[in-house]
Amino acid sequence: MIRLASFAAMILLWQAGAQYSDPRHLPGPGPVALIMLEEARSGELFVNLAATLARVAASFALAMSLGSALGYLMGRNRLADKILDPWLVVLLNLPALVVIVLAYIWAGLTEAAAIGAVALNKLPGAVVVAREGARSLDPTLDEMATVFRLPLEARLRHIVLPQLAPYLAAATRSGLSLVWKIVLIVELLGRSNGVGFKINLAFQLFDVRLLLAYALPFVAIMLGVETFVVRPLERHVSRWRSDAA
Amino acid sequence: MLLEVAIASKDYLSADGRPRRALEDLRLTLKRGEAGAVVGPSGCGKTTLLRIVAGLDHDFAGKVALPNHGRLGMVFQEPRLLPWRSVADNIQIAAPHASRAEIEALLDTLGLAGHAEHFPRQLSLGLARRAALARALAIKPDLLLLDEPLVSLDAALALELRDLLARLIDETHVTTLLVTHDLAEAIALADKIFILSPRPARVAAVLDIAAPRRLMTLGAGEALTLKAKAVIASLRD
Repeated sequence: MIRLASFAAMILLWQAGAQYSDPRHLPGPGPVALIMLEEARSGELFVNLAATLARVAASFALAMSLGSALGYLMGRNRLADKILDPWLVVLLNLPALVVIVLAYIWAGLTEAAAIGAVALNKLPGAVVVAREGARSLDPTLDEMATVFRLPLEARLRHIVLPQLAPYLAAATRSGLSLVWKIVLIVELLGRSNGVGFKINLAFQLFDVRLLLAYALPFVAIMLGVETFVVRPLERHVSRWRSDAA
Repeated sequence: MLLEVAIASKDYLSADGRPRRALEDLRLTLKRGEAGAVVGPSGCGKTTLLRIVAGLDHDFAGKVALPNHGRLGMVFQEPRLLPWRSVADNIQIAAPHASRAEIEALLDTLGLAGHAEHFPRQLSLGLARRAALARALAIKPDLLLLDEPLVSLDAALALELRDLLARLIDETHVTTLLVTHDLAEAIALADKIFILSPRPARVAAVLDIAAPRRLMTLGAGEALTLKAKAVIASLRD
């Protein structure tokens, strides 16, 4: 309820702000909705949202799976940690823009370069969090698994993953928001569809209505993913914590 | 022989970085279906011995023989259940071949009938230890290892679980090796008692119990207690 009221206040403030400023700089909710409708009717909106969403999904999946595996390895194996740590530090401190431009120069303006560049930006963060999680795995449960000769698959599913779950959930949250922002930059620099491409167009036309008409639905989608996918999943995997006697 | 332990030596690094000897020339054997209790004061290396038998510690000189890669069921001092899985799932994960009916029967035997779907956090220590025992029994172990199975339970609960263990050993004839600091517990559960010397630990004496557990008479129990106490006293000098 409070969330909803706060959201309504935000819209009202926007409306009020629009009233006292140049509509070309800050159009109100009405004109933006109108453009959104127009773009939706022509199908443009959905094509571009879908393109961006697909890129977010692909690069996020790539970064999380690779990052979790690498982080797990580094958290469990000292030698791997020593070897890979300098690489990780370099990658962590490499600006997103540098990675993107290099990817486009080396691999051309291709879909693979775009998705790869975004994944590479998210990768070190996922590695760091997964490594932290792997370091905090309970050794006594490991011993239990050894004595009972649990097969690798059972160990991963029942012992390792439940312990990593809160770490992976944290990486997912920070990851999703980071990834979709970087995807927009990648699209702006070298793709011919997607929300980022449309925002570039809006920038060239100085059309704030168009910009908002694409940015807001995407924010809404990501908010939906967070509320209806990430959070329920988190609640599900941590239900054993909450109903303790 | 089912279990043959012959540890020439086991060293560990003490806090000041110097190697210390924990076990030396420790030998013990168990026949199939026998229950052996290792008794010794706290910190004498009992748990170290159990970890070596369990295959958790390979850094020792000597040999532990378990024929045909025997299946091990172990109850650790802390229950070590998976907190994110229900009691029934905890058992199922360790014993994937056990049927749901078998698991339910086992839970019933151990007085856990109403707790199958509970998470370990919802159980008291006594119940959690029973659940850990159920898990160890569910795999139909060739050798059951118990590390201080009654420690930190209140007296009444400890007695209840002790009787339950004695009954299970009698009924299932599972070969059992348990370690304990409590002589009475060893006498109540074992066919054979191994008394350890102070560190470096070896088996100082083996007491055979001809009529163990429910067959034991009060007099025999008292005689055994006196004999064991005499051995323990002689080790102190």
